[in-house]
Amino acid sequence: MSLVSEAARILLNGLQTGAIYVLLAIGLSIILGTLKFVNFAHGALYLIGLYAGLLISQETTFSGGQLAEFGFGTIGLDWGFLAALLIVPALVFVLGIAMERFVARPFYDRPDTDQILLTFGLAIVAQQVVRVLFSGSSQNFAQPSWAAGPLQLPLIGGFPQWRLWVIGITAVLVLIVYALIEFTDFGLTVRAGTQDTEMVQLLGIDISRPYVVVFGIGAALAGVAGVVGGPLNVVNPTVGTDILVPAFITVVIGGLGSIRGAVLGGLILGITESFLIQWSLVIPSLGIDYGFAPWSQVGIYAIAAVILLVRPQGLLGSEVDVS
Amino acid sequence: MSDESANPTDAPETEADGGKTLGGSASENTVTRLRTRWEGARDREVTVIGLTIVGVAVFPYLFARAPVVSDLLQGYQELASLMLVWGIFAIGFDILLGRTGLLSFGHAALWGTGAYAAGWASANITEFPLLVVLIGVSVTVVLSVVLGFLSLRRGGIYFAILTLAFAQMIYYMASAPLSFITGGDNGFTGVEIGSFLGVFDLGTELPSIAGTLIGTWRYAFIGAFLVFSVAAIHRVLNSPYGIVFRAIRENEQRAQFVGFNVWRYKLAAFVLSGTFAGLAGALFTIHGQYVPLSSLYWQTSGEVVIMTVLGGVGSLLGPLFGAGIYLWVEYIVSGGYPFEWIAPYWLLVLGLVFVSVVVLFPEGVWGLVGDLRRRVATRLEEQ
Amino acid sequence: MADDNGSRSRRDVLKAAGAAGSVGIAGLAGCTGGSGGGGSGDGGGGEDYPSLGNFPVEGDTATFGFTVPQTGSYQSEGQSELQAYELAVDHLNNGGGWVGNEFSNLSGDGVLGKQIDYVIGDTATDPDTARNAASRMINRDDVIMFTGGSSTSVAIALEGLAQQEKVLYQCCLTHGNGTTGEDCRRYGFREMFNAYMTAQALVPPATEAYGDDLRFFQLYADYSWGQSVQSSMKQFFEEAGWTEVGNVATPLGTSDFSSYLSQVQSANVDVLFLDEYGLDGANSLKQAVSQGLKDQIEIIVPLYNQLVANNAKQAIPGVLGTTAWDPGIDDPSADSFAQAFQDEYGSPPAGVAQLAYAQVLQYAAAAERAGTFYPPEIIRQFEGYEYDNIGLGQEVMRKCDHQAQRAIPVVQGRPVDEQSEGDLVELVNLVPSDQVGYECNSGPAAKCELGEYGDE
Repeated sequence: MSLVSEAARILLNGLQTGAIYVLLAIGLSIILGTLKFVNFAHGALYLIGLYAGLLISQETTFSGGQLAEFGFGTIGLDWGFLAALLIVPALVFVLGIAMERFVARPFYDRPDTDQILLTFGLAIVAQQVVRVLFSGSSQNFAQPSWAAGPLQLPLIGGFPQWRLWVIGITAVLVLIVYALIEFTDFGLTVRAGTQDTEMVQLLGIDISRPYVVVFGIGAALAGVAGVVGGPLNVVNPTVGTDILVPAFITVVIGGLGSIRGAVLGGLILGITESFLIQWSLVIPSLGIDYGFAPWSQVGIYAIAAVILLVRPQGLLGSEVDVS
Repeated sequence: MSDESANPTDAPETEADGGKTLGGSASENTVTRLRTRWEGARDREVTVIGLTIVGVAVFPYLFARAPVVSDLLQGYQELASLMLVWGIFAIGFDILLGRTGLLSFGHAALWGTGAYAAGWASANITEFPLLVVLIGVSVTVVLSVVLGFLSLRRGGIYFAILTLAFAQMIYYMASAPLSFITGGDNGFTGVEIGSFLGVFDLGTELPSIAGTLIGTWRYAFIGAFLVFSVAAIHRVLNSPYGIVFRAIRENEQRAQFVGFNVWRYKLAAFVLSGTFAGLAGALFTIHGQYVPLSSLYWQTSGEVVIMTVLGGVGSLLGPLFGAGIYLWVEYIVSGGYPFEWIAPYWLLVLGLVFVSVVVLFPEGVWGLVGDLRRRVATRLEEQ
Repeated sequence: MADDNGSRSRRDVLKAAGAAGSVGIAGLAGCTGGSGGGGSGDGGGGEDYPSLGNFPVEGDTATFGFTVPQTGSYQSEGQSELQAYELAVDHLNNGGGWVGNEFSNLSGDGVLGKQIDYVIGDTATDPDTARNAASRMINRDDVIMFTGGSSTSVAIALEGLAQQEKVLYQCCLTHGNGTTGEDCRRYGFREMFNAYMTAQALVPPATEAYGDDLRFFQLYADYSWGQSVQSSMKQFFEEAGWTEVGNVATPLGTSDFSSYLSQVQSANVDVLFLDEYGLDGANSLKQAVSQGLKDQIEIIVPLYNQLVANNAKQAIPGVLGTTAWDPGIDDPSADSFAQAFQDEYGSPPAGVAQLAYAQVLQYAAAAERAGTFYPPEIIRQFEGYEYDNIGLGQEVMRKCDHQAQRAIPVVQGRPVDEQSEGDLVELVNLVPSDQVGYECNSGPAAKCELGEYGDE
């Protein structure tokens, strides 16, 4: 395999891994940027999206959990993947709005630490509810039949089709959200609010409604991440909290409140990960053949550390201070 | 930090207490006078330490052996020891959260490093428990300086995220690339703990009445460290240093203007709290003679956060109770007590309790107990 | 289901002692784990022995502890183990199954005159959680033996605890070399075979089916089990004339193997070993098939389990591997166990169930032979014991490393149209114990130091 095709493979795998991070990071980032609300339960939205997608798209047999004990061991609507992809975002959007209204709003004036504690607690509760209902077992989320199997690509050879779909879907969603924020009146209000909430309010603009929508959009993106990532990643109750950490790192690398930053951060993390997995240091004369796959997870945090030391506000972050 | 609202309830209360005392002396109310004397004494170091010693000494008896009580609690000796270990972790964590308002989600790295360093030292350097603990603590102190330095570059929410990220990095390092030292997923299995001062095997029981009360040498060893930790933290918090911590929490900008190097004090608080995390981690190794990889995982950080908040942020002894409650639920309730059906729900129950504490009782269990005490006192006065 | 309220007699004695002040407390000095009691109970006829761990057993019941994964990815394994354990306890107390037949010294009326009770703890396949559960059983419920678990990390953690607390542990499902290698303990015994023996067992059928001079690549789970499988496969297949072209470690819990499998595609090999377990095993196998690898090269999954087979039904046909036990083994005792299990639970037993069932009975039989629950005596009964009563031919529980030397079932996945619920793999060969195994001074056993009996 040539160097070029190897590079292309690393790039595609990295794009796909990064895509999931991007979907989560955009939500985290715009909620943090506009509402100044730290959402440790963002991973729980991913988790809910994931399980909702599982239940809508197929019929699943759960080997344990309370549902199975009550005789509902095999459940699911079996409406197919496309249905899940359309319904789940709407569902999680509504959930996000409810969350803004009943969880976030009462806590806007509380210190950051209280917001973190509350959302952390809610993340645990969500995770445990899923575990109690569906058991802690990992489940099988089938790839949509129309996108299963490998696709023959020039240079690379066989490449799993669904990965390409994930990259494509993410790209489309990111562009839509970007256009929404950059080119509409709604986006203008949101951006202005990011810069200076007080000033916008003084100008007589009601920002509470756009803010609710921002929260909903962020949540919906996390839900989509759950659905498109489901067939590629592990499906069990702990995934929500596990994916939260890289998502936060993505935000921190890219810069707070910046969609372009979140995309850049996600790509950097994804490609770092896939590069380390595939890279081995081989020096035949010294007998060295060391694979860096075990360092792939360490690598993304090391990158974050370096970027923060050099550029604390993140790569594309302006110095918006949430302190 | 948007910390202006930090504890508005606390200050008026203490003032109100003072006010009542003055009024009380006029009415010659004996209860009030007794109470005043008690309030004064309570904060004195000797009293705090004395109470801690008594508590530590009778706890295992009540928890594991006393009639009725131990039946109700379903406790056992080893769990009592473990509660003290986590208690040290939690009161150390509270130095940071309770006194400077910084929320770390990366203390697992410090606790785990203390545990691994102690375990490694016991296998390769010395089996003496005291030296093992010393090595564990020393390594952790070095790590907390590095972690604190990196994480404190950004304030506010960044601190929580960065501590979390760096701790996860250490977890992943221990899990695969450094598994030749850590044992990877198997955990560190080669722990060899010798006898205390070369004389007492930590696993054996203390002689006579001490055996009934305290139980094993191991518990006594850990208990001594708990008492030491409480005394040390009490001393620090009431020193000028500790008062600066509080000033930072109340209003960081003002502290800065007055001329304190806020960043340096925050780092000091982080390192101090890391020291106790390392101590607790090392004791965890002494206790279990095994270091699981999960001791570095972020869930361990989450556990200590929950314990501290549950027990009462900013109170010296509250987090001890938080640790006790958490472990009791984790070990006893998860085994299907008091109801068989509750076993799978134990963490859900803890999560719900935690959320309600955050929303409704920000002062935790310790605050509730305090409220109750004050209410009873007020009742007595009114009579 | 039994609960944790099993035999609490010992603790009651202690409590009485506590309530009465210091009377009798001096007698407690010198015993571990907060237990003791001055040896007043008969311990099943073992009055001569001092108290040690949870010996002597007070009252009329002896309690076993079952540490099984009830949550997390391996809970189906845990459920099979637990069903087998409950069946074993039922047979010990009331007769049936192998009790009184294959195990002729068991009476069906308890063990050493005591009824058997049990408590359950959840390991969640996490060594720390497992130790918590086991520690509660040992310290509070006074179990005399505990068993269970479905991973090497759990087994190693529990073995250490067993040695520390002087309570016997029967390892159950653990396949890594360390359990009876460098992490072996006097208080732990393993009936299951290990990765080293799996490699020995797989060489003959694999070379016969695929050829003699092949190039292979390994994907292995990056923890001690995966590493031991990788090194064992490399050692024995290279001895047989194959060549390892490359290997890559995958972090535990990897869900996306495409980057790793890309390397296999580019390496131009004949055979791929997937040294992955559980869901990782299922995912890697599925993804290898979906990337089209199976059309080009042969795939071997060294260790099958329910999770792998169930989650990768479409991918397993023809894929070789080993498994703890298979109901297809032609042996009367295999049949009688399968029948008893089927009668009780209405489904055929999984491989791990036979293992769990056998290990409880083996402990009971060793206690009967020793005539006491005193752990060092039971250990001595185990060590060097030769038996052929669990349906796998002649076996020996070796004294030097507590590893059973036994036959290994090699299986392959059934074609999709021949699969049925609970029956996904077919037996290819039962490799007899004299073709697998190793000397005490070689392989994993060379690193094993068992430690003390506790009565030295």
